[in-house]
Amino acid sequence: MKRTFPLILVFVFGILGIIPFFVPHPVVQNADGFLRNEFLRILVAFALVLGLGSLLKVHIDKIKRRRENWQYSWILIISFLISAIIGLFGGVRGTGILPTSIGSFQFDIWTIYWNVVMPLGSTMFALLAFFMASAAYRAFRARSTEATLLLAAAFVVMLGVLPLGDRISPHLPSFAQWIMDVPNVAGQRGILFGVALGALATALKIILGIERSWLGGGRE
Amino acid sequence: MTLILLCSIYALAPPTGVRAYDTPDDGGGSVTIEWQLSQDDAEITRYDIYRSEDGETYEKVGFIGPGRTSIEDESTQDGLEYFYKVAALRDTIRIFSEPSSPVMSRAHLVDRTKMNVFVALLILGAIILYFTYAARRGREMFIRKITGLQAIDDAVGRATEMGKPILYCPGIGYIEDIATIASLNILGEVAKKCAQYDTKLINPNRDPIVYTVAREIIKESYNSVGRPDSFDPDSVYYVTDSQFAYAAALDGVMIRERPATNFLVGWFRAESLILAETGASTGAIQIAGTDQVSQLPFFVTACDYTLIGEELYAASAYISKEPLLLGAIKGEDWGKFFIGVVLIIASIIGLLTTFPILGLFR
Amino acid sequence: MKIIETLTNIDRRIIYLILLIVVLLPLLFPSVEKVRVMAPVEKLYYAIDTIPSEKAVIVDFDYEPQTAPELDPMGFAILRHVFERRIKLLVLSLYVQPLGLAQNALTQVTEEFNSVAKTNADSIIYGRDYVFLGWVPPPIIPILGMAESITSVYTVDYYGNQTDTLPLMQEVTNYNDVGLLVSLSGSDIPKWWVAYAQSRFGLPVGAGITAVSASEFYPYLQTGQFSGLLVGMKGGAEYEEMVERTLKIKVRRKASEALLSLTYAHLVMILFIVIGNIGYFAKRRKK
Repeated sequence: MKRTFPLILVFVFGILGIIPFFVPHPVVQNADGFLRNEFLRILVAFALVLGLGSLLKVHIDKIKRRRENWQYSWILIISFLISAIIGLFGGVRGTGILPTSIGSFQFDIWTIYWNVVMPLGSTMFALLAFFMASAAYRAFRARSTEATLLLAAAFVVMLGVLPLGDRISPHLPSFAQWIMDVPNVAGQRGILFGVALGALATALKIILGIERSWLGGGRE
Repeated sequence: MTLILLCSIYALAPPTGVRAYDTPDDGGGSVTIEWQLSQDDAEITRYDIYRSEDGETYEKVGFIGPGRTSIEDESTQDGLEYFYKVAALRDTIRIFSEPSSPVMSRAHLVDRTKMNVFVALLILGAIILYFTYAARRGREMFIRKITGLQAIDDAVGRATEMGKPILYCPGIGYIEDIATIASLNILGEVAKKCAQYDTKLINPNRDPIVYTVAREIIKESYNSVGRPDSFDPDSVYYVTDSQFAYAAALDGVMIRERPATNFLVGWFRAESLILAETGASTGAIQIAGTDQVSQLPFFVTACDYTLIGEELYAASAYISKEPLLLGAIKGEDWGKFFIGVVLIIASIIGLLTTFPILGLFR
Repeated sequence: MKIIETLTNIDRRIIYLILLIVVLLPLLFPSVEKVRVMAPVEKLYYAIDTIPSEKAVIVDFDYEPQTAPELDPMGFAILRHVFERRIKLLVLSLYVQPLGLAQNALTQVTEEFNSVAKTNADSIIYGRDYVFLGWVPPPIIPILGMAESITSVYTVDYYGNQTDTLPLMQEVTNYNDVGLLVSLSGSDIPKWWVAYAQSRFGLPVGAGITAVSASEFYPYLQTGQFSGLLVGMKGGAEYEEMVERTLKIKVRRKASEALLSLTYAHLVMILFIVIGNIGYFAKRRKK
């Protein structure tokens, strides 16, 4: 029973997920909308509480037991409390129950988003440029014919998008564009066909209960 | 008489042949109106669409630019009769067409335009089920070697020897993404191996629902190999739903805990290379997998093994060697072959019809 | 022999440092790189240039701070072009985050023009020459609703004015009075404009996008659904080149300046790949 019940749930909700695609009738569409928009939201709220609980538990535990780098856990807990208080009382844009501000500086989620989340996110994003360089240096070796072809294509495309490429030869940018338009798109489509079919098969396997790895695998 | 003459000089030709019908294959509340262009279509500003319930008083319900011959009125009430007129408009002149015959909108049970999808679903589903059935009856299935998946055993073994943990990142997708589901299936198999070898498994998550599911999966895996006591609930945790904050947290784990193996398997965006390159710098063996075409180049460059697209979906079958799952993969391959054949035939016909003589095929 | 070893194992920190220097130096000592203007950029330029005087252009600022360095220069150059030609301008965002960036661009460019204006007619005046419509959620509402009436979608503008009291809005009522919409975005938004405004109401749409997402957009350009396309830093630089060459507007060209950084960064990457390969082959021969 411990296994059968989840399998039945998966089957029923899996089929319920497919039907609205083929049936435009409002009865079906509204039920689907309810499941997706209302029901899922409630589910996420509960999961979020569990998630945040786990995060806090891990870090409080770390501080208690003085595990390695336990000091950083304080930063997490303090930031967590500050954003939670601001979020709960300051609202999204200073519209919470306790609008607090110093001068023109509003304490709300908006302020945190613009002054903390955004710059930190941009910084992480910018790191990509550096990581690309070191990854390219380490991995782009002409080890085999395929790797050499890849390397050559990379050179053409890199030079082709630069003004320099145009100076080397006016055909270079067009050639780079051709690589992007033709072989690149062909490869991507090939992968996408496999992905689409694989997604269908995976969905079928789970709905029909053939795939049970998520239940710890094995049979009844 | 003079008035009529004057009008005909300044007036526009009205749109003709106005036809209104219930929009097919929809959920109701919509009528499609079609007409033939006004002879002065080149001069007009737009067409205005008017609707009436009694055939006498009309109200404007929409408009569309010149050159267009149809529009959908999506504000109808099912079961009510409507009449439509279309007016051609230039400056202040507005010339109405004859009204349409009465029309009623209704909700449809089946969207026939999606029948092709339904048939394809049935055919592919049947192929997959047939091979699953064949596998159940004991037919041997050959699956080509996937090096990334063969490496999993070694990767777990290596971590055990080195006494270091394994990091499993299920990506930043939600539970409804197939890549996430496939990743969670692999997680189940990896967790089993970790439980057998008693190797620590760290699993930080970005989505709260994925986190709860992942925790249950790992717990079940430890149970299924008879080591429920080894399961450490604190090693499976939720971090944040912010994409780059999550990446930063994982980078931190990689640097501090120095896992022997990193699994980066699931749905990824721009953080893919940030994770993979940090992992590479710590000397971990990295097994990546995603169906996000735009992130594959990053993984291929920075990781030791990469599961490309559907290899990711096939992974749990491949690792568990479960005959039914292997059968499903075989079915998938035949399905792909079937689609390939259809595509090639369609392309050949498509190419041939561009020759004038072969226009018959069109 | 040690050299070979060094060539194949350059410390990543050295790579990062060199990359940082070559990206930073051209930004500290800016100089402008000449670029050849490619067809998609030229197309967008002339699409704006040939908008008849009775029609307006809408610029949709829909990028966030992360992608602003790449897309800001496009926005600035397009605003300069539009103001120089005295084309009626409406500015909007479909999301709330880009509003600040749009306002920043408008403030700076109008200031450029007004600081040299001698008469009232020369100046760029809010409500007469341009209107900042702001933001109305969800995105589909303005995309579809503006076909009927712009002022009923945006009853008040970004600054809180009633839109129907603004002189410009009495001349521009809906898409029929709009010659082109340009959508600047790091995501899929330009495709929405094509799907809903272009295919349904025939509104011409142009786009400015990040280099990373470019491959998804080229098909739309080929089919003519985009009336022009600016791709990444280079697209911005090409537009700046057009603005300077044809309109004789001499201002700082941020994208063109950054192009040199971009070039050097690419060259450094190519150089390191070559070094790595030399080391690799030397090692293999030794074996």
